[in-house]
Amino acid sequence: MIYNLSQILEQSAERFPDKEAFKCLDKALSYAVLDEKADQLAAFLIKSGLKKGDRVAIYMNRCLDTAIAVYGILRAGGVFVAINPLLPANRSLLIINDCGIEFILTTVSQQTKVKEILKESPLLKVVGLSDEENENWVSWNTIFTKSMESFKRPTIVEEDLASILYTSGSTGVPKGIMHSHKSLVCLAKLEADLHHSTHLDIIGNFAPLHFDQSLFGYFSGPLVGATTVIFPDAYVKLPASLSMLAAKEKITLWFSVPLILMQVLMHGDIDNKDFSALRYVRFGGEVFPVNQLRTLMKKWPHVKFINSYGPSEVARCTYNILVEPPQTDDPIPLGTVWGNTEYKILDEKDQEVKKGDPGELVVRTGTRMIGYWNNKALTEKSFFRISQVSGYDHIYYRTGDLVRENRKEELMFLGRIDRQIKLRGYRIELDEIEAVLQQNEKVNEVAVIVTTKEGGDRELEAVIRPVDKATIDIRELILFCSAHLPTYSIPQKITLLDDFPRTGSGKIDRNAIVRQIENNAL
Amino acid sequence: MNDKIITYIKEEIAIMPLDSIDVHEDLLGSGIVDSLGMMKLVVFLEKEFQVKIAPEDMTVENFDTINHISEYLSKK
Repeated sequence: MIYNLSQILEQSAERFPDKEAFKCLDKALSYAVLDEKADQLAAFLIKSGLKKGDRVAIYMNRCLDTAIAVYGILRAGGVFVAINPLLPANRSLLIINDCGIEFILTTVSQQTKVKEILKESPLLKVVGLSDEENENWVSWNTIFTKSMESFKRPTIVEEDLASILYTSGSTGVPKGIMHSHKSLVCLAKLEADLHHSTHLDIIGNFAPLHFDQSLFGYFSGPLVGATTVIFPDAYVKLPASLSMLAAKEKITLWFSVPLILMQVLMHGDIDNKDFSALRYVRFGGEVFPVNQLRTLMKKWPHVKFINSYGPSEVARCTYNILVEPPQTDDPIPLGTVWGNTEYKILDEKDQEVKKGDPGELVVRTGTRMIGYWNNKALTEKSFFRISQVSGYDHIYYRTGDLVRENRKEELMFLGRIDRQIKLRGYRIELDEIEAVLQQNEKVNEVAVIVTTKEGGDRELEAVIRPVDKATIDIRELILFCSAHLPTYSIPQKITLLDDFPRTGSGKIDRNAIVRQIENNAL
Repeated sequence: MNDKIITYIKEEIAIMPLDSIDVHEDLLGSGIVDSLGMMKLVVFLEKEFQVKIAPEDMTVENFDTINHISEYLSKK
């Protein structure tokens, strides 16, 4: 029986030793080779002092080594923490310090940024840089030439922690979502069921490891012995290359944000490429504009399209299989929940709403996170408990998403109950950006908003009331943001104002600001 | 040509502050430019150099470095 993630690899290495597990351009890892390399990495980590439950950072862009890193850490009983290498060093350090990381796994291509991190955190042990340069560093080559005689795989039970995924927090400090082996194995099985996937499938993995869509390629694929094709960063940015590679690799299962599909549709020259192998296209992370979805579905009539929804705290929880292109421009329902999942829709007083009324979606599922790392208060706040008897509660996760049920009992997405937004697939807390800008000494008050431009493009904008208008420099503020925030959270435009439009009670009227900007009145 | 492209990337689309960009530097893999920036760059090149860049030409081989971008444009 498979109850931990390391067994996924172990089992497929027995069943399909010579089959390609992961592929990236002209390089590939068979299941047998990946299994051996994961053992070698695990042996090294344990010998270097890793104890069960210790956190290990993976600091890599999209490449084949990510697969070895993930399975090696898990096999050693460690917890993988994928860090986006495009984050500013300050923010990477916040994560490293928050969960007490001692090991960082990387590649030579990231060495400039890693060395910057090491200046502040010199005790980190590094895997992936030249071992001749520093006694705390070891190269991948050295690890793969070590003998394994004394290595004994540790026991890993399903409740053990497997991963911490950091996401924006509204106070300006990222929060770490903890998933156990149990919840991620459960997700892998649900996703395999959804697509009826087999060892003949070829999965297109477009998401970086720090984005939870990648869990499909890294775990659900290997569970059935499929091949996961990792698309390198450059290919994800250039639609013509991306669609060429997807056609060449004969991708059968596609899972990405709508933006990638939209770019492939517009610039991917897909009419001249062969996508006959493709069986499923699943999209999620944000809303797919219906007119573009329809165009794409008409171009690929042999493909089943699935809308897939879920906050990272429960990985995914709904799916909606679209049998034919949508006839109208009405929003696409989020769909129905997995078989192992229950939900309720609650009003502001935590009472269930009447059927069809809007309210906050709360979800009880096997893929629920354990909680936020080292933050009991925030974890408890995110749970909705219904006590069955003293000591036994049904625990639901509060998604913060506003939904209602339609007549077919499908969930429809209406918006957020807080100020979290989705922009180009990224989860962004507007409050967090405001909190960061507020720390700048030249900023008196700040409002961060999303505006919609002609043609439907949405932009992140900040409006600032400076302490002294004469000395403030917008370029300087942008630099300040880029030192403290991930790129996708940096406002695309900053406007200075002498005062804000305000509500009757004197609060900043953000809706009025949005209206004024959209009407070019600011 | 290279200078104009470098200036545009540095001032308009680079996602991190940069002093300079080498003409051989990997714009995409290193994360200097994201996918939206890439689309903006194409629009800029079409306007600035009076060329039409076909979707099928927007490939890694043509766009990964500033040198490759200008080589591609000079063949147009």
